[in-house]
Amino acid sequence: MHAHSFSPESAGIRRLFVLGLAAVTTVAGTWEMHRLLSARGTTVPEGVLLALFVLCFGWIALSFWTAVAGFLQLAVSKRLPGLRWPTAEEAAKRLASRTSVVMPVHNEDPASVFANVQATYESVAATGQLDAFDFYILSDSTRPEAWIAEELAWADLCRRVGGQGRIFYRRRTDNTGKKAGNLQDFCERWGRHYDFTIVLDADSLMDGRTLVTMARLMELNPRAGILQAPPLNVGRSTLFARLQQFAGRVYGPVVAAGAAAWQLGESNYWGHNAIIRTEAFIQHCGLPVLPGQQPFGGHILSHDFVEAALMRRAGYTVWLVTELGGSFEQPPPSLLDYAQRDRRWCQGNLQHLSLVAAGGLHPISRGHFLMGVMSYAASPLWLLFLTSGLVAGLWDGWLSFSNPHLLEDLPPEAMHFDAKGSMRLFAVSMGMLFAPKIFGLLLGLASAKDSALMGGRVRLVLSVLLESVLATLMAPVMMLFQSHFVFGTLLGYKVSWSSQQRDDADLPWSEAARRHAVHTAVGVGLAAVAWFLSPGLLLWLSPVVAGLLLSIPLSVFTSRASLGLWLERRGLLVIPEESEPPKVLERSQEVAGEFAMEPVADAVDHVISDAKAHALHLALLESQPSPAAVPMALASARRKLLGDTAEPLSAPEKTAVLLDAHTLTEARERRLTIAVS
Amino acid sequence: MDSVTTPNTCPSVTTTEWVRPETCVALDAFFQGFGFEAAEDLAALAAWALEGVTASNVKPQAAVALARARVETWLTRELDMDVVGEGRLLTRGRAAFVLCDGARFGATVFTRDAVPHELSRALSAAVPVPTPAQVATAMPEQQLVLWPLGERLRRWLRAGQPDMSVSR
Repeated sequence: MHAHSFSPESAGIRRLFVLGLAAVTTVAGTWEMHRLLSARGTTVPEGVLLALFVLCFGWIALSFWTAVAGFLQLAVSKRLPGLRWPTAEEAAKRLASRTSVVMPVHNEDPASVFANVQATYESVAATGQLDAFDFYILSDSTRPEAWIAEELAWADLCRRVGGQGRIFYRRRTDNTGKKAGNLQDFCERWGRHYDFTIVLDADSLMDGRTLVTMARLMELNPRAGILQAPPLNVGRSTLFARLQQFAGRVYGPVVAAGAAAWQLGESNYWGHNAIIRTEAFIQHCGLPVLPGQQPFGGHILSHDFVEAALMRRAGYTVWLVTELGGSFEQPPPSLLDYAQRDRRWCQGNLQHLSLVAAGGLHPISRGHFLMGVMSYAASPLWLLFLTSGLVAGLWDGWLSFSNPHLLEDLPPEAMHFDAKGSMRLFAVSMGMLFAPKIFGLLLGLASAKDSALMGGRVRLVLSVLLESVLATLMAPVMMLFQSHFVFGTLLGYKVSWSSQQRDDADLPWSEAARRHAVHTAVGVGLAAVAWFLSPGLLLWLSPVVAGLLLSIPLSVFTSRASLGLWLERRGLLVIPEESEPPKVLERSQEVAGEFAMEPVADAVDHVISDAKAHALHLALLESQPSPAAVPMALASARRKLLGDTAEPLSAPEKTAVLLDAHTLTEARERRLTIAVS
Repeated sequence: MDSVTTPNTCPSVTTTEWVRPETCVALDAFFQGFGFEAAEDLAALAAWALEGVTASNVKPQAAVALARARVETWLTRELDMDVVGEGRLLTRGRAAFVLCDGARFGATVFTRDAVPHELSRALSAAVPVPTPAQVATAMPEQQLVLWPLGERLRRWLRAGQPDMSVSR
């Protein structure tokens, strides 16, 4: 099978516009940088600096021209060519297809997960098309307490909405392949029941109308393999999260529309809030295991990009449909949680480097792999760029010091650094970096409704300024975090797989100090070196130095919900989804508040002592395949549980007991008997 | 042990004083699994389970087996379940009963023939269906040649290991 294009005829000109202009801009920028650096000839550190500049500037140029394309696309408000949209008559018909909505979960807070499922379910029901959908909670939870809490939450949800037989719950006993394996297990067991599968994340929330439209688009476009609905960050209160939500709402659409405008049917899949053609996915997207050792070999960690590439290789298109709306997720609540998520994603994206040259892939799919790599590699490149700039300055100083007559031989124009030229290049770079923000702001200001919902035009401008300042200060911290992850991954850093922190909990100062001590020290060192070389250089580096020096208070204060809410009350960083929340979002928050669950403190104890948990768990256990062999943990657990002395069970022992109906029944009978006598 | 001379300490089965205390306890435990907590409910249910039993020394296991059989008969009547394996009816039926809080209607739901319509409807809706029937299918692992040019060279030279994804 070989890749071939299904994208519309305008794909070529669109790609030439973005990629061609990005290339021309990179060449022009590099030329100018070379001119500035080579005034006194080019030293080795300056050569390295130039090479790093090409990569960093090229990345910025591509983002800039993508944002330009997005801005134009949104300004003309025309639908992208390629996908056939339903007519009014078609949109009113009943769906002829069957769609599963799957939500893989892993040790999450069940209250918010099931509140989102309920809100989505009710929203689909409100469209009158519920018969075309089934819902699955695919649990990979390893914590026994999370497992039991999920079962209870599932049963409660089914009772509330009458969802037995339409909302299903399955827990895997082994987590092979992690999220991709979880989805594969679903496909291999129930996938053939459905034409399409909508994949959600544990914090995903989708409007029923969006789900119906996605299914309808898949019906009307039989060569479409995946449709990605870009999710909007909503629902958090911390300052950090509200910065993410604001940026995602104001600038995100520009970037997404830009990417969609030139990638068209060769777009990417982000792993959730997307619909996939189930049969094509089963036949063509079974993930391979890569040869060699980690970080590049072994199981594929970031499955979504690879699945999109495989789907495209099989001749199906992948679309980023920015017009859909009604697709939400939650941002991480703090800078450290954001970094923790990045740590997981980093290794997965770097692993894609080994797939760039793989046979049969579409060139744009290769581009997605490279862009994914660059989204993390850009940080160490920037760090190396800054370091090599300092080294080049030190080198220059050393040469002048060690050979005072060296400067005498140089022409007079080489004696003066072209400050104007450097300022011009710096301004162009900054302009390109901030362009998506400016485009987003312009589009926001142009829409009276949007700007009113974001606190009014003045507050919208102030919000953009505030977001820009804080994002600039946090960028150097993320640069160091991501550089650490990249170097660590390449040097064999272990990436653990843990669920995200999804609560708005304040970050303690001690934790922030522990995590950011190195960043602060790097800031001090950078400031000292820059001052030693030239006080002017320190001024140039001041945003980076300030961000690093302030990393501890920045991390603490941005993690605070009180600050986020204080700004919201003043109309700052407000998004329309806060001023005028969509029904599905309101409903989700309402359900989470109304049906808050009691936490399960001890899973085994709860199942033994609570009649409801016991009866439900045993009933669900019947649908779960029995373990091939009785684990050793069960024997020791039985000794502890049924013996005369009460001993606490370890997590593996709890899991073993929870998988054994006989032991649970025996333990419950024993407990009741003791209680009575 | 002679059951006739054993002092009865059963807290609930006041009407069946001739039954062993451990049998009462076992029956109480069984019905507590359905969410019944009140002593009078448990006593009535124990009496219902042992209805027609004349032997005074009925053992706990035998009494529970009788109770199971009675409840299963009741569930068969109330639930229209397609596939019922050994013990599955009781397990799933009990879960449904507990989930719709059937115990709030008292022991009479079991002991009388007429079941309240509200409970009957709730019970059917509450039978846990964790997953639908499976349609087993294999998701074939895709093969990727990571560096096609190198792979061609390797084949030509007949050397090294294939540079492609490996089977699970």
